[in-house]
Amino acid sequence: MRRTVCPTAGAVTGAALAVAAAVGLAAPAHGADGGPAAVRLPRAEAGAVTGTLDVYPSSVVPGGQVSVNTKACGEKGVAAGDASAVGAGQFPLAPSAHEGEAIGQFRVPESAQPGTYEIVAQCAEGGRRAKGDLVVTLTAAQHDRVQPHGSVKTGVGGALGTDPVRTAAGVAALAVAAAGGTWLLHRRARGDGI
Amino acid sequence: MRKVNNVAIAAVSTVALGAGAWLLHGAGVTHAPPQPTAAEGLPDASGHQLSAPALPPSPPTRIRIPVIRVDAPLMGLGLTPSGSLDVPPAADKNLAGWYERGTTPGETGTAIIAGHVDNTEGPAVFYHLGALKKGHTIEVDRRDGSVAVFTVDAVEVYQAKNFPDQKVYGAASRPELRVITCGGGYSKATGYQGNVVVFAHLTGHRPL
Repeated sequence: MRRTVCPTAGAVTGAALAVAAAVGLAAPAHGADGGPAAVRLPRAEAGAVTGTLDVYPSSVVPGGQVSVNTKACGEKGVAAGDASAVGAGQFPLAPSAHEGEAIGQFRVPESAQPGTYEIVAQCAEGGRRAKGDLVVTLTAAQHDRVQPHGSVKTGVGGALGTDPVRTAAGVAALAVAAAGGTWLLHRRARGDGI
Repeated sequence: MRKVNNVAIAAVSTVALGAGAWLLHGAGVTHAPPQPTAAEGLPDASGHQLSAPALPPSPPTRIRIPVIRVDAPLMGLGLTPSGSLDVPPAADKNLAGWYERGTTPGETGTAIIAGHVDNTEGPAVFYHLGALKKGHTIEVDRRDGSVAVFTVDAVEVYQAKNFPDQKVYGAASRPELRVITCGGGYSKATGYQGNVVVFAHLTGHRPL
C-alpha cells in the first residue's frame, strides 16, 4: 500500500508506510465514542437463532435518536423491534435499500437513566432474533466531540507530474532544432553560404 | 535550390526550437486541479438560510457529486496523533472518508468528508472538487437507506499555515457538510499548500 501525504510531495518514507499499516489495521475499529456497535451475543435463546443488531450511535443521551440495522432477517426481511428496556417501547424494522438490511429507528425518552440496555429485533419470519447494546449517558458525548484541527493532507501532486508524452515530444522537437542548426552551421563553416 | 533548402531547414529548426521549449515548459502544469474563484467564497455575514429538517443519526456509506462525476464509497476516519483529520489510503483513488467521531451527514451539526485530490499515479476522487459552484448538489447515502441531499453554499481555499478551524470544523445549528481535499497552490518542496473546502447544507432527503 502506497500512502502519501501532501506536504511531503511524494517523499514516501518507511515511516509513512508504517503509519499506513497501523492506520489500515485501526481503520475498521468502530465502537468508541458513538461509532456503530456490533454486539454479537454468544448465548442463543432456546429455539431462536440470534443475530447481530447494529445500534447507531452506540452511546446516546436521553432524548436522542437511535438507528438500528440488521442482516439477520435476510433480504426484504421485516422485524419487530423492542426498545422497551430503555423505555422506548416497540418500533418496526423495514427493509432498506442498503445491503438488504432491515432498519428501524426510535427515540430514547428524556426520562431514561444512564446504563446499558439491550435492544432486540424479532424477525417476522424464520424465528430469528437480533440483539445489540445501547449505552445511555448523561454527558452529551455526541455533541461535545473532539474536532479535528488544521489542514488535511489529501494529495501529493501526482496529477501535476510531468506528462511523459509531452516531455518526449518536447525533447524530440529540440533534437530536430539542434540537428537543423548544426547542419546550417556546418554549411556556413564550409563557405557554402546561406 | 540549395538556398531554398537552407531556408527550409532554418525555418523548421526555428519552429522546432520554439515548439520544444513550449512543450517542455508546459509539461509540468497541464494537470493542475481546478481551484475555486472568489465568487464562490463564503459571504461575510453568513445569513443562515433554513435547511431541511435534520435526519436521525446514521453513518454514511457513499458520496455522490453528479456535476463532477464523483461516486465513491466512504470509510471511517479518525484523527492523526497531531489532531488533524486522518485521510483514506491514497492508493485507492476512488475512496473518500468521513470523520466518524463527528456528526453523521444529515444530522444537526457539521459533518466532515475528506478525500484525495491526487496520488502518485495521478488524479483521485476529489480532483475536480474545486470546480464546484454555489447551488450544486452533493448526495450522501446513509446506512439507514436514506440519501441526504446537500446544496453547496461556498467553495473556499485555505492555506495550511492559516487554517480556519472554527469555520471548517466548528459546530453548526443546522445540518451542514464540509467536503475537503488538497489545493491552494503546489510547490515541489512542500507539496500542496492548503485545502479546498466545500461548504454545504442539507436541503432534502429521499430513499436510496
